[in-house]
Amino acid sequence: MPQASSISVLVVDDQLTMRALIRNALQQIGFKDVREAPDGEEALKSLLAKPANLVISDFNMPKMDGLALLRAVRSHPPIRQTAFVMLTGRADRELVQRAVQFGVNNYCVKPFTVQGLKEKIEQVFGQLT
Amino acid sequence: MDELEAIKVTFFQECEELLADLEGGLLAMQEGVGDIETVNAVFRAVHSIKGGAGAFGLEPLVRFAHVFETLLDAVRSGEVPNTVDLAAVMLRASDVLADHVSAARGLGDVDMAASAAMADELKAWTDPSAAPPPAAVAAETVDAPPPAPVAADPDALDDDDLGFDFQPMTISIDAQAADAELIPTNVWTVSIRPKSDLYRKANETALLLRELSRLGPIVATMDDSALPTLEFLDAEAAYVTWSVRVETDDGEEAIREVFEFVDGDCELDIVRGEAPVEAALANLLSAIEPPAPQAAVQAAPEPVAEPAPVASAPEPVAEAPPPVVAAAPAAVAAAPAAAAPAKVTQADVPGPGQSVIRVDPERIDRLIDLVGELVINQAMLAQRVGEYGIAPSSNLAMGLDELEQLTREIQDSVMAIRAQPVKSVFQRMPRLVREVANMTGKQARLVMDGENTEVDKTVIERLSDPITHMLRNAIDHGLESPEERRAAGKNPEGVVRLAALHRSGRIVIEVQDDGKGINRERVFSIAVKKGLISPDVQLTDEEIDNLIFLPGFSTADKISDVSGRGVGMDVVKRSVQALGGRISITSRPGLGSTFTLSLPLTLAVLDGMVVDVAGETLVVPLAAIVESLRPKAEEVRPLGPVGSVLAVRDSFVPLIDVGLALGYRNTSPSPTEGVVLLVEGEDGSRAALVADAIHGQRQVVIKSLEQNYQQVEGVAAATILGDGRVALILDVDAVINLRRRESPRPTEPSLIAAE
Repeated sequence: MPQASSISVLVVDDQLTMRALIRNALQQIGFKDVREAPDGEEALKSLLAKPANLVISDFNMPKMDGLALLRAVRSHPPIRQTAFVMLTGRADRELVQRAVQFGVNNYCVKPFTVQGLKEKIEQVFGQLT
Repeated sequence: MDELEAIKVTFFQECEELLADLEGGLLAMQEGVGDIETVNAVFRAVHSIKGGAGAFGLEPLVRFAHVFETLLDAVRSGEVPNTVDLAAVMLRASDVLADHVSAARGLGDVDMAASAAMADELKAWTDPSAAPPPAAVAAETVDAPPPAPVAADPDALDDDDLGFDFQPMTISIDAQAADAELIPTNVWTVSIRPKSDLYRKANETALLLRELSRLGPIVATMDDSALPTLEFLDAEAAYVTWSVRVETDDGEEAIREVFEFVDGDCELDIVRGEAPVEAALANLLSAIEPPAPQAAVQAAPEPVAEPAPVASAPEPVAEAPPPVVAAAPAAVAAAPAAAAPAKVTQADVPGPGQSVIRVDPERIDRLIDLVGELVINQAMLAQRVGEYGIAPSSNLAMGLDELEQLTREIQDSVMAIRAQPVKSVFQRMPRLVREVANMTGKQARLVMDGENTEVDKTVIERLSDPITHMLRNAIDHGLESPEERRAAGKNPEGVVRLAALHRSGRIVIEVQDDGKGINRERVFSIAVKKGLISPDVQLTDEEIDNLIFLPGFSTADKISDVSGRGVGMDVVKRSVQALGGRISITSRPGLGSTFTLSLPLTLAVLDGMVVDVAGETLVVPLAAIVESLRPKAEEVRPLGPVGSVLAVRDSFVPLIDVGLALGYRNTSPSPTEGVVLLVEGEDGSRAALVADAIHGQRQVVIKSLEQNYQQVEGVAAATILGDGRVALILDVDAVINLRRRESPRPTEPSLIAAE
């Protein structure tokens, strides 16, 4: 059973509000090592400089969207197995299906609850302590 | 839950930006810009507002945003053609969305009927076959189920909520850790950027490199791209930087120790890892660049896994295009191209929370105040030194000169911190134009120019009102109705141009319309009818145009609630003048009118002329002074029992003794004994102010009289001079007016009223 506090998370969203909300939820779950990036490109830079265990990413972002980020992560061996949870709206079913092709680990529909997000993460890592 | 409240505040701040982006994008679309990037940005703005609103359970906002988003999604996918008409509709929808945001924030209400009608109009676009024209759709949608219930219900958030079978993929942290091993732990990239001090202290980079090589094999790359040509070379400056790849098991501490003795004389970055991030990133970006998704994933030949020759990797600081790793030749050309534009936009628009710091404005105000004190102190010091008769060539005097230079620069830089582009004011105007055009039945298109022109925050806050009035006036009185325009052979849609520019140390705002221009005959007759001017006065065209700024003047036959909102142009003019600004209008019949508003760039400092009057020191704003002169006796002519005028070239200007006007003395000395400052009031009226002596020009820091004492007629503000004395800043207009009121028989009653 992994410890939430030992899992590093990168939150990717172009909206400051969403990043703050996600960070807030993650902290409530027990995550300590949380950093942020405003788009896919910045996220990739961040990951290349320092890998993370988990990426929670929005889809629609300027410059480099969530799918492109997912593909980039999966194609780079040192960070290939980064857990990737996609944030999505209800209408984005096709998108999630494409994300599945690229190896997304899980998705989470906005708006989410703290408990909902926790479950999504636990489905990837196993129960958190 | 305090934290959530704080996030909510952030959300509304972000909404402001998103709404501005939305409007900007839609305006571009209305101009015919239809590229996918613009549409995407517009979509993203609405989508983001909806997303945040959903998180806070702001139902009405979510519902409206959802309808809007659905339409934009259809435009994005090409189902609904992207037309100029559609953009116009969506612009109105963006106004409704903005109202919803304000309502959610607790500021104002939404006209729910108008919102529902707008929503129906938007829906009609996505489904034109099913829906009759907007007006008729309303009834139908009432019983329709609310579009996509945005769940606030946590139970609804399970795996099945997107309606297909999805198995989350599990991952183990250990496996991730194993992958991370792929990143060599004993390779370091050290970038060394020596400062000139390093060499001045007789250190030498070669020694440092030799020292580094004791830790393990190194590959050093020198970057001399900053090296200027010989003629510009400063022999004592440091131009060259190094990037060194070190393979060592000794760790970061050992590397740092090498640089122990040059600490502070050299910028140092020690990063674990092989290639600089940029090179790997460029590779990854180029690998996913082609739009064939499947192919990219399978075919990507793990470009970064190849040991990248770090020796040739780009030094991050270097200007030169990055020599991309040889392992992926195909990527070489594409990589810099892909990475470069991103960098540019990033510099323009720093990501939220990235390189922008939010600072409490009060801190900046305090800083500006302090710098103001510094300027005064510096001036005082300089004056003392002058009094002691120290030679200007002495080290002390020269040091003081440098200090003055520095102080100026600090002041400019600090003022620049508070400077803001006028964009924040401008971006509210398209909506205003749409609303006024709707209300008056005119067609108007707003063209904006110079949104990035910067002014001090103190000025920006005061720009909004006059611009609003000028725009209202331009549309309401300037533009003709579409029919009239057609009849005149013009495009039925009128163009209103709002522009900001810097001109001689001031900010100038122009509002220009291509309407009918001012009907001078009518303006003149109204002014006569209202007793503002006498019927036999001769006025130039320009003087007639500017009659509209007279108190009590309104050309509209019935007062429309659009133009004035109960406030005439005279009030606008007075508030502008109170800021040290001026406003005027020029007009060409049939072609349109132009309002010109000019304001000082800041309300914190002022260029002034220091003068002596009856033993008091006063500062006259330089902007008001046309010239200064010593009058000859024959140029002074008496006028009436007490007054006199001065002949300046071919005109006469009233002479005003400042000492008398401000009550410093009861009899004025002969003007020929003093100095005359020819000043021009904000309304263009001239006067000759008599002072005893001129001390010279100086930049002074404005200290408000109202805040520290009370308002005094004839005095605009106060300042502190170099010798520590308080000096009053003259309010030129007030002094001119003071004299007018007191003088028993004004020279030309009609003209004075007309000014």
